[in-house]
Amino acid sequence: MQEPAIAVESLEKLFPATRSGWREFLQPFVRPTAVALAGVSFEVREGEALALVGANGAGKSTLLRILATLLIPTRGYARVGGHDAVLAPRDVRRLLGYHAGSDLGFYSRLTGRENLQFFGRLNHLAGAEIDRRVTRLGKHLGIPAELNRQVRTLSSGNVQRLSLARALLHSPRVLLLDEPTRSLDAVAAAEFRRHLRREVVERGGTTLLFASHALAEVEQLADRVAILDRGRILALDKVAAVCARAGAATLEEALFRLTGRRHGDDAESEKAEP
Amino acid sequence: MGRLARELWLFFWRDLAIARTYRAPFVLEMFEALFGAAMFYYVARFVDSPALTRELPQGGSYFAFALVGFAFFDYLSVALDTFDRSLDEARAAGTLEPLLVTQTSLPVILAGSAIYPFVSTTLRVAVYLGWGAALFGFPLGAANWGAVAAVLVATMLAFSGLGIFSASYLLLFKRGNPAKWLVLGVSSVVGGMLFPVSILPPWLQFVAKLNPVTYALDAMRDALLAGAHFSKLLQPLGALLAFAAVLLPASMATFGWALRRTKITGTLTHG
Repeated sequence: MQEPAIAVESLEKLFPATRSGWREFLQPFVRPTAVALAGVSFEVREGEALALVGANGAGKSTLLRILATLLIPTRGYARVGGHDAVLAPRDVRRLLGYHAGSDLGFYSRLTGRENLQFFGRLNHLAGAEIDRRVTRLGKHLGIPAELNRQVRTLSSGNVQRLSLARALLHSPRVLLLDEPTRSLDAVAAAEFRRHLRREVVERGGTTLLFASHALAEVEQLADRVAILDRGRILALDKVAAVCARAGAATLEEALFRLTGRRHGDDAESEKAEP
Repeated sequence: MGRLARELWLFFWRDLAIARTYRAPFVLEMFEALFGAAMFYYVARFVDSPALTRELPQGGSYFAFALVGFAFFDYLSVALDTFDRSLDEARAAGTLEPLLVTQTSLPVILAGSAIYPFVSTTLRVAVYLGWGAALFGFPLGAANWGAVAAVLVATMLAFSGLGIFSASYLLLFKRGNPAKWLVLGVSSVVGGMLFPVSILPPWLQFVAKLNPVTYALDAMRDALLAGAHFSKLLQPLGALLAFAAVLLPASMATFGWALRRTKITGTLTHG
């Protein structure tokens, strides 16, 4: 049987409470008590796109950061391409492209192209190959001219596109994207989703795990969706199956029903009832 | 060129490219060095005497002694500062996480980030000495440049261990580093920057023997002012390399442990 691209089993992550004042000196040694992930298990097959959906604080970013080797889980394991994220982080990073969802993360005095060349070479790409890929990605992401400007002069949306280009630059086998289109305008977001789905996932065979609050994006991109709430997976299936299981017409409604939150329409109809 | 050399060069290229976008500070630093050299020249003229010169281990003028001490003390400051400064800047700019998810290893990232600051410090020191030689009669003619280079490399290696300890502290505790100020403070007294260690009381001379700065300044003055041959520098060079052999692996292990702690507590990017 083929090894899943991503395998997560009984994954738990607890964070310590934040200390202040002189107690901040104890921060690195405080016992973790705040639950971010509470026993998450799932697999993502090679070439599959899985979306993580849930409210703020549901554990989506924590999960992505553990897989990106930026956090160490409290219990359980996370594997990428068969490599353990804690025991073999360098092997994991060899397979990964990661976008943290922020518009930070670049050297502001360098141009976009110089930044991508720097990070591309840290991922062991050759100079000529980087130039070719940067030009191609710049076109796909709609920032061919912006690549030659210093990052400090770019809008947050364009910096985000640059960050997506960095994640894609070395053609990783597994792509982890945290809110990939958060700062993008509607047209740029649609074009990026099309590129991601057709070129990266379908043609390139890249495995995609992404977190998003844009449910239309989830329906367009994901083969399956995982609904997270307070560190637990409440449902994991195809969008239609999740909706059917929740007895909902839309993914938004399913999200409200599964997490036990009141949907605006439900609240309205309850108010209208005598 | 091997992969390691290519990666290290990449960090140097990055910092050089960033520095090129700030040209004015570079020019100002050159003139700052001129004022520093002039200050030591006139202080030396004021205090210099045959009795003082007799106390100097390499002989020569107090001006030469003090200028070398002051200029090379910069290395300690840079070594102690460069790792935690680049860590702090990476955290503030958000580049720390993107660096850590690349295929480049942490020791290479750390070492690479230190190259430009060390190179620019070397340039600054050269400018100091250049101004001193051009305008104030600093004696460069006797220098053994091969020995100077060897002392520089050994000094950088020994001091880098202290710098990486400092960065580990910053990673864990996020702010200020009392150890850094302690090392700089103690070294300014017992390191032999502006006066020879021999004038200190015996217990401070013992402290000086535990400090790599003492060996670095001593060897640098021997090589630069007295043109000492390698055979005369074996003891201070050996001491500096012994400091490096202990401090570098210990500091790398400490940094690795600190990084792991921040990955457990989720405070890697916290400032």
